[in-house]
Amino acid sequence: MANIRLTELVKEFGSTVAVKGISLDIENGEFLIIVGPSGCGKTTTLNMISGLETPTAGEIMIGDRVVNDVEPGDRGLGMVFQDLALFPHMSVFENIAFGLRVQKMEDQEVQERVRAAAEALYILPLLYKRPNQCSGGESQRVALARTIVNNPDVFLMDEPLSSLDAKLRVDMRTELKRLHDRLKATFVYVTHDQAEAMTMADRIVVMNGGKVEQVGSPLDIYDTPMTQFVAGFFGMPTMNFLEGVLTSSNGDPIFKSGSLEISLPEESTQNIKDNKVVLGIRSEHVSVSDGALRGQARIIEPLGDASLVYFEFGEEEELVAKVSPELRISPGDQLMFSLQASHCHLFDQSDGHRLN
Amino acid sequence: MVLSPDTASPIQSKRQAMRKSRRRTIVRHTILILWGLLIMFPIYWMVQTSFKDSGEWVTWPPNWVPHSPTLQNYGQIFTFDITKEGVARQATEQPFNIWGALGDSVLICTLSALIALFMGTFLAYAISRFNVGGSKFRHSVLIIRMIPPIVIAIPLLMYYAIMVPLAAETVLGTRISLFDTRVGMSLLYITITLPFVIWMMLTFIEEVPYSLEHAARIMGAGRMYTLRRVVLPLVASGMVVTFLFVFILNWAEFLLALTLTHPDVTTLPVLLNKFQSASEGRLYGPQAAIGTIITIPVIVLGMIIQKHLIKGFSFGTIRK
Amino acid sequence: MNERVTTVADLRKDGITARFSAWLSQERIFRWIPFVMVEGMIICVLIIPFILTIYISFLRWRANRPFEQAYLDGFRNYEAVLSDPGFWLSLGRTFYFAGSAVILELIIGFILAMLVHRIVAGRRIYITIFLIPMMVVPVVAGYNFSMIYLDSGPLNELLWPLTSLLGINPRIRWLSNPLAAQWAIILADIWQWTSLTFLIFLSGFSALPPQLINAARIMGASRAQVFLWVELPLLKPAIVIAIVIRSMEALKMFDPIILLTYGGPGTSTQTIAYYLWEQVWQFNKFAYGAAASILVLILFSVLIFVGIYLLGRQSEAVERGEV
Repeated sequence: MANIRLTELVKEFGSTVAVKGISLDIENGEFLIIVGPSGCGKTTTLNMISGLETPTAGEIMIGDRVVNDVEPGDRGLGMVFQDLALFPHMSVFENIAFGLRVQKMEDQEVQERVRAAAEALYILPLLYKRPNQCSGGESQRVALARTIVNNPDVFLMDEPLSSLDAKLRVDMRTELKRLHDRLKATFVYVTHDQAEAMTMADRIVVMNGGKVEQVGSPLDIYDTPMTQFVAGFFGMPTMNFLEGVLTSSNGDPIFKSGSLEISLPEESTQNIKDNKVVLGIRSEHVSVSDGALRGQARIIEPLGDASLVYFEFGEEEELVAKVSPELRISPGDQLMFSLQASHCHLFDQSDGHRLN
Repeated sequence: MVLSPDTASPIQSKRQAMRKSRRRTIVRHTILILWGLLIMFPIYWMVQTSFKDSGEWVTWPPNWVPHSPTLQNYGQIFTFDITKEGVARQATEQPFNIWGALGDSVLICTLSALIALFMGTFLAYAISRFNVGGSKFRHSVLIIRMIPPIVIAIPLLMYYAIMVPLAAETVLGTRISLFDTRVGMSLLYITITLPFVIWMMLTFIEEVPYSLEHAARIMGAGRMYTLRRVVLPLVASGMVVTFLFVFILNWAEFLLALTLTHPDVTTLPVLLNKFQSASEGRLYGPQAAIGTIITIPVIVLGMIIQKHLIKGFSFGTIRK
Repeated sequence: MNERVTTVADLRKDGITARFSAWLSQERIFRWIPFVMVEGMIICVLIIPFILTIYISFLRWRANRPFEQAYLDGFRNYEAVLSDPGFWLSLGRTFYFAGSAVILELIIGFILAMLVHRIVAGRRIYITIFLIPMMVVPVVAGYNFSMIYLDSGPLNELLWPLTSLLGINPRIRWLSNPLAAQWAIILADIWQWTSLTFLIFLSGFSALPPQLINAARIMGASRAQVFLWVELPLLKPAIVIAIVIRSMEALKMFDPIILLTYGGPGTSTQTIAYYLWEQVWQFNKFAYGAAASILVLILFSVLIFVGIYLLGRQSEAVERGEV
C-alpha cells in the first residue's frame, strides 16, 4: 500500500532550479500522469521519487516513511525508463530476473516468478532471446515484466512509449491501463504527450518551468484549464487565443478585439478587475456555418471525422474551427462565423491565470 | 543508319573519359603497389635472413632468398643448452638465447597491461559517472605521450637506483633497489600507459547508457554489483582492445627498458639491441630470428585491433 | 515482500568486511578511490623522481663517486650544459631530423591516402599493408635498416648498375658518411611513420561529406577546384593533427640512432635524446645529465603546450561540427 506525498520539493542543478517547490499527494492505486513540455522538471520530479536524484529541499514520503535518504532499491518501487534500459548482454529471462537475483532469491522461485510475469505480458516465447532481437513492442513488454516481477507498490514510468511508432503507442496505452487495473498499484507516469495523459490518467499534473500549473482529472483540465499554458497545452488543434479588452455595453460584458466583438455570459465576468484579457476558445466551439462575423478560409485540413478550417478575419487575425466534414469549404471562400460564448475561457493577459 | 557527328561525339568522349579513368586507376594501383613493396621489403629481408645459414648472412652480392633455408637460427635462440656445438662456434661468452628475455617481456608487458587496465577502467568509470578530477586528464595523456622518454628515464634511474635503496635502508634496514627489476619496470609501464587506458576506456564506458545503471539501482543492486554485472560485461570487448593496445606499447618500448634494466632483467628489444652493439662478428641470423619473433605477435595483434589503433595514436581528435 | 528486503539488507551490513564494502560503495567515498589510486601511482613513479632530479641537477657529483659525497653547487651544471656546443648541436640536429622526416611523411602519407581513398578494389588490402610498419617494434625496424644499409646489403646491390656506371666501389658504407648516415636515419623514420600520417589522412578523407563534394561538382567546379576549395580546407584538422603528433614523436627520436649509428660517425647523428643518454649512461655524468634533462623538459613543455593548444582547437572545431 503506497501513497506518495511530496512536500515543497526543490531540486537545483548548480545555479539552475529544475523543480521549484512542488507539493503533491498521490493516492494509493492512482494512475497519475505528470505532463509538460521538455525541461519542465517532470523527469527530475520522477527521479526524486525514485531516488536517482536527491532533492535539494523538501520531503518525499512513500507510504508512511520519509524516503529522502533511502536507497532507490529499498523504496519498493519499479521503474520503466524512456530508453527501456534493458541489459543488452543478458537474455530476456535474466533481464526480468535481475531484481530477484539481486535479492539472492532461490533459483526455483526466480523461475516461477519470471514465468508468471512473462505470461502476464504475453512474452513467454521471448524468454531466451536477447533484447536486441525483440521488436519495439516486445521490448516494451519485457521492460514492464522486469518491473512487475518485483511486485512493487509504485510504478514509475518515464516516457516509456516514446520509442514506439504511433500505432503501437496507441495500443500500448490501452494495455498499460489494463495493467494498472489488474495490479492496483500506484502508477506515476511522465510524458510530454498530452494525448497520452488524457487517455490514461486518473489525474493529470501539468508542469511548466519547474512548477505545477494544474492538477485535476483529464476532463477537468480540458474543460476548465486554470492557466493559459494548460489551455494551450491540451487539445488538438491548439486552442484559439485572442488578445483584447473587456468592456460592457448596456451592462452586458463584451469582449473586444480589433473589429471583433463578442458578448459574454454575465456571470462569467463578475470577478474580473483588469480589463486586458486573453480569450481562449477551442476549435470545436467555433462555428463557421452561420454567424454574424465575416472571415475568409485559408487552409482546410480534413481529418476524416472532422475538418479543420483555418480562416482569417479583421486585420490578419486567424482562428481555427473544427467542423463537420460534410461542410464543403475551399480555401479562399468567404464565410460567416460565430463563437460559442458559453465555452469561452478568459485569461489574464499579464500572468495567464484563468479569470472566469 | 549513319550516326551524325552530334550523337557520336558524346559517346566518343564518354569512351575517352572511360579510358582516361581506367588509365588513372592503373597509375594509382602501380604507385600503391610500389609503396607496398617498399614497405614490405625490410620485413621480408629480416624474415628471409632468419632462415639463412651463417655463411649466407653477409655475402656480396647478397642472396635475395636463402639458398639453403635452415631453422638453425631459431634453434639457436630457442635452445636451452647454450653449450651445444652449433651455438658455441660464434657464441662468444654472452648467452644469446631468448628464453629469459621472452619470459621477462611477456611477464612485464602482460602484468603491467593488466594492472593498468584494472586501474584505468576504474578511474575512467569514475570520471565518466561522477566527473571526478578528470577535467584535465586528456592533457595528461598528451603530455606523457609527448615527453621524450629519456627525460623520464634520467629521474627514474636516480630514483630507482639511489633514492629507493636509501629510503629502504633507513626504513626497512635492507637495501632494496627497483633498478633492473621486473617490479620497477612494471610500475613504470603501468604509470605511463595509464593515461591511454583511461582515455580509451572512457570512450567505451561513455557508450553505456546511464539508464542501465539506474535501472539496476532501482532494482536494488549495489554499486559494485552493477559494475560487475552490468557495466563491465558491456565494455568487455573494449577492455580487450585496450589491453592489446597497451600490451603492444609495452612490448615495443625500448628506451626505458634499455636504461633501467640489465643485466638481471632484459626485454626483447633490449636483447636485440645487445647483439647490435657487438661490432665484430654480429650474429645477423639469430638477430633476424629474434626480430621476427618480436614482430609477428605485434603485427597479428595490431591487425586485430586495427580500427581502434587510430584512437590510441590520434587521441580521439579524429572523427570516425 | 518489503520485510524480506529489509532483512537481506540488514544481513548485508553485519560482517566487518561487508560493512567495509558498504562504506566503500557509498558514493562520496567510492568516487574518489580510483582517483586517489591513479594519482598516487603517478606521484610516486613520475612526480617524486622529477623533484629528485631537480635536486640532483644542482649537485656537484663526480662520476663514479658515491651519491653521499655529492654537495650542492648552484647553477654550475646548467652553465656547463648551456655552454656545451654538443648540447646545442644535437638540439639543432633533432629539429633538422624531425623537420625533414615529418615534412616527407606528411607529403607521402597525404598522397597515399588520397590514392587509396579514390580506389575501390583492394582498398582493405592496401590499408592493412600500409599500416604494418607502424606496428613493427622500432628496435626491429632499426635492425632491419642496419641490414639494408650494410655495405654488402641489398641497397648497394640495387644501386650496382649505377655505381658501376660511375666507376665507384659498389660497396658503399652508408653509415660511415655523415650526410648519408643522417639521411639513412631519416629514411628509416619515414618508412616506419608514414603509416601514421597515412592513417590520419585516410580517416580525414573518409570523413569528408560526399554530398558537399557532389554539390561542388554539380555547380561546375573542376576536380582541382574541388580539391583546393572544398577538400583541402575540410582536411585542415587532420593535417594539423598529423603535424603536431608526428613532430612531437619525431623530436623524441632515439631508437633508430642507437641501432644504426650510435650517434656517429663522429656526432653527426646525435639527437638530443641520444645526447642525454650518452651523458648519463656512457659518461656517468649524472648531475650534468639531470640539469640537461630539466632544460630539455622545459623546452619540450613549451612545445607540448603549443601542440596541445593546436590539437585542442582542432578537436573543438571537429566537435562543433564546423569541419
